[in-house]
Amino acid sequence: MDDLTEMLKGTLEGCVLEIIGREETYGYAITRRLNALGLTDVIEGTVYTILLRLEKNGLVQVTKRPSGIGPPRKFYALNDAGREELAAFWEKWDFLCSRIDTLREGGR
Amino acid sequence: MAIRDIIEGKRRWRAHLARVRALPPDYQIAYKEIQRYLFKAGPAGLAGEGLLAGIVDFLAEGAATGRGVLELTGNDVAGFCDGLISPSRQ
Amino acid sequence: MNLRDIATGSDITREWRALDARARQLPTGYQAAWEQIRSHLLRYSSFTGRNLTPIFDGALGLLEETAADGREIHEVLGGDIEGFCAALAGAHGARTYRDRWRSRLNRNVAGRLSRLGG
Repeated sequence: MDDLTEMLKGTLEGCVLEIIGREETYGYAITRRLNALGLTDVIEGTVYTILLRLEKNGLVQVTKRPSGIGPPRKFYALNDAGREELAAFWEKWDFLCSRIDTLREGGR
Repeated sequence: MAIRDIIEGKRRWRAHLARVRALPPDYQIAYKEIQRYLFKAGPAGLAGEGLLAGIVDFLAEGAATGRGVLELTGNDVAGFCDGLISPSRQ
Repeated sequence: MNLRDIATGSDITREWRALDARARQLPTGYQAAWEQIRSHLLRYSSFTGRNLTPIFDGALGLLEETAADGREIHEVLGGDIEGFCAALAGAHGARTYRDRWRSRLNRNVAGRLSRLGG
């Protein structure tokens, strides 16, 4: 689905955390994962800025590895703070989803 | 800046200011700071004038309910303004 | 970097020249994107421009990596280079004039309202 950019803002960071939480990975692989999921609008530049923010906020461990071609590639893994942030993200997500579903179903 | 140049001296602008003065003190403070920000960051000309008029409408409505101005705008007044300028870019 | 470098800004010139040299190695389409990124990011420059070199360095690194993978620049940055630069600068904590106006607005409102008293 396209045209999701605005709605995705704020949740994309959680998605990236979740992907990194599964295994150590790098920007392009994260982008392809999101694209394969159906989030075809997500581009690598956006993922790059999210990764940068995660790094600045001390949520990920970054390792540079040679990539065969081109410059070394930065690989990202969650650290403890990152895992806490991810847990908090899912908690907020569940809360939001349940509230919005309630609204949709006309309940209180 | 541009908005002010176009509007200033006109009756419409004086009427606008009169409406601002009719607001409670906390609303006037917030409005003046908002206006100062939007003169720099907001749209110029008629669009800017319409924006400011719309904000006074909104504030006057809120003041009538007896709430404090920050209850309306939130503490991030700049975020409130940016939402008005460009709803898609928060 | 010594004091003389800082005072004359020659350290910056040197670093920027090195960045330019790296950028010239990029494919043509990438070079055009780099020019755009540079001009957008300059809005986030501090007085000396010293805050921008790590941001430039990181962005250039991304371009080098994706160019080496043989990908198209459009695929990497999409159409919104300005938005990319804003997110980039934001992640680095760089501020534009507008960001400063924003903080002043919030600070002034909070301050003047508290002086008004409850």
